[in-house]
Amino acid sequence: MTSHGTPAGERPDGTAAEPLERPTFDTSVAHIARVYNYWLGGKDNYAADRAAGDRAIQSYPEMVSSVRSNRAFLARVVRYLAGEAGIRQFLDIGTGIPAANNTHEVAQSTAPDCRVVYVDNDPIVLAHARALLTSSPGGATDYIDADLRDPGTILSQAAQTLDFSRPVAVMLIAVLHLIVENDDAYRIVAELVDVVPPGSYLALSHVASDIEPGKQAEARNRLNQMVHEKQTHRSHAEVARFFQGLQIIEPGVVPVPQWRPDSDLEAKCPSVMWGGVGRKC
Amino acid sequence: MSTAQPGSEPPAETLGPTVLRIMLGSQLHRLREAAGVTPDQAGYAIRASRSKISRMERGRVGFKDRDVADLLTLYGITDEHMRAGLLALARQASAPGWWSRYGDILPDWFEAYLGLEAAASVIRAFELQFVHGLFQTEAYARAVTLLGHRAAPAEEIDRRVSLRLKRQDLLTSPGPPRVWAVIDEAALRRPVGGGRVMRGQLDRLIEVAQLPHVTVQVMPFGRGGHAAAGGSFTVLRFGEADLPDVVYIEQLTSALYLEKRDDVDHYVEVMDRLGAEALTPAATARFLTDLARQT
Repeated sequence: MTSHGTPAGERPDGTAAEPLERPTFDTSVAHIARVYNYWLGGKDNYAADRAAGDRAIQSYPEMVSSVRSNRAFLARVVRYLAGEAGIRQFLDIGTGIPAANNTHEVAQSTAPDCRVVYVDNDPIVLAHARALLTSSPGGATDYIDADLRDPGTILSQAAQTLDFSRPVAVMLIAVLHLIVENDDAYRIVAELVDVVPPGSYLALSHVASDIEPGKQAEARNRLNQMVHEKQTHRSHAEVARFFQGLQIIEPGVVPVPQWRPDSDLEAKCPSVMWGGVGRKC
Repeated sequence: MSTAQPGSEPPAETLGPTVLRIMLGSQLHRLREAAGVTPDQAGYAIRASRSKISRMERGRVGFKDRDVADLLTLYGITDEHMRAGLLALARQASAPGWWSRYGDILPDWFEAYLGLEAAASVIRAFELQFVHGLFQTEAYARAVTLLGHRAAPAEEIDRRVSLRLKRQDLLTSPGPPRVWAVIDEAALRRPVGGGRVMRGQLDRLIEVAQLPHVTVQVMPFGRGGHAAAGGSFTVLRFGEADLPDVVYIEQLTSALYLEKRDDVDHYVEVMDRLGAEALTPAATARFLTDLARQT
């Protein structure tokens, strides 16, 4: 539950606030959050989502393994941040439909007083997040209905739950590839990193343009034909550029299964995503 | 993280007979299809009809050891380890649930629901007319029961109320299901049992909504007309990956259980829309507090 009287992202009448561009509530068109849910083995997806997900799998058969590796990466990163790095505040942008090991669950299992703000722009995702991603008693969770393209709104609303004078982990897990224009993507990340104090972290994963490029380009083209939210892929160098000015945490920007894997087996999982964590000094 | 993980898979021994039947049924379905056996052929092998096979595979009926053994043979399952596992599952699935001692007042169509509810990892409900059974106070439950059974003797009313309250043990059991209810404002404005009973019910709702695994959202009068057009229904989800969601729609003398993906998708979509259009859980808490004050 929220820790304050007037939750962010709500109108005065208590219904969810109208975002800049509310995605249409149209289940006949595939939605990327529900396609991910399908790949992750979830049940919150519709026929159009499954069809798009299957089309992408035809191009890149290891898709399911790749998105699951990304989910495992999220959990390991949060465990690292809440554990070794001592972070207690998380800004998780592009929450997606709740699955196993959501950010606040992993964070609060390491440190129960962690505060997590989830941000998404999809009404179904937000309804699920508000209902299902509830905090343990010692910490806090909140939910912001906002678009990644509008970091100002995200930051001002997140300030109701997070203390921006203390370190914050900004999480951009498998979401920046939905910001197609490079200028926009780098500007957004810079704006977010600019606001958080030294000692804060940036954690992100991004679909790669230079791992299995042929299959991946085909999967992307198929998805872009069927899914409402268009995506672009970026190279290792382009992903590393998001961490410019930050101290990159070992092992750097790597395929997500190789980021501090729990086992050799985990490290060998197929994946087409770059992932990394950087610290603001 | 709290010790009880809402929505997580309950341990096998607490699954209850219904979900065990569904699990066994879905395995038999898979094995039959893999073996290329038609429902008619399978029915013939166990001296039953194709519809009996279909009911078995959907977990709607219990299993006889001999039937399961014959089907496994027909499907070419000779591995003793696998056969023993499935036969053990069949025996567990035939054990009675806690509700069996209410058999005299429990119609079959509702008994099936209790089994599914007890096995669910997520229960999503839209309530148009009454507060959900899992959230009812004794006084409110009694008032609702009296509405439906005006002529029943007092003892029967007591038993019906006691059954309803017993169901609520689910909320405080270890590894409780996640319960996510959207309640229409009408259900909260209608003073079932009178103002005092309703006031108590609203207080209870405020309390129960604070449980970490319970989410309550009120659909205010001003919203949700389109999505709510169909009336009350419940979507039950199970932790096992291959068990489909089941939609439960109660009628006056029977109930509908939908589990075909197309049907279920349609109801889940309405449920998703209701969840997106209703007051957020935080705003619902404020709404309920205000309403309780007025009631």
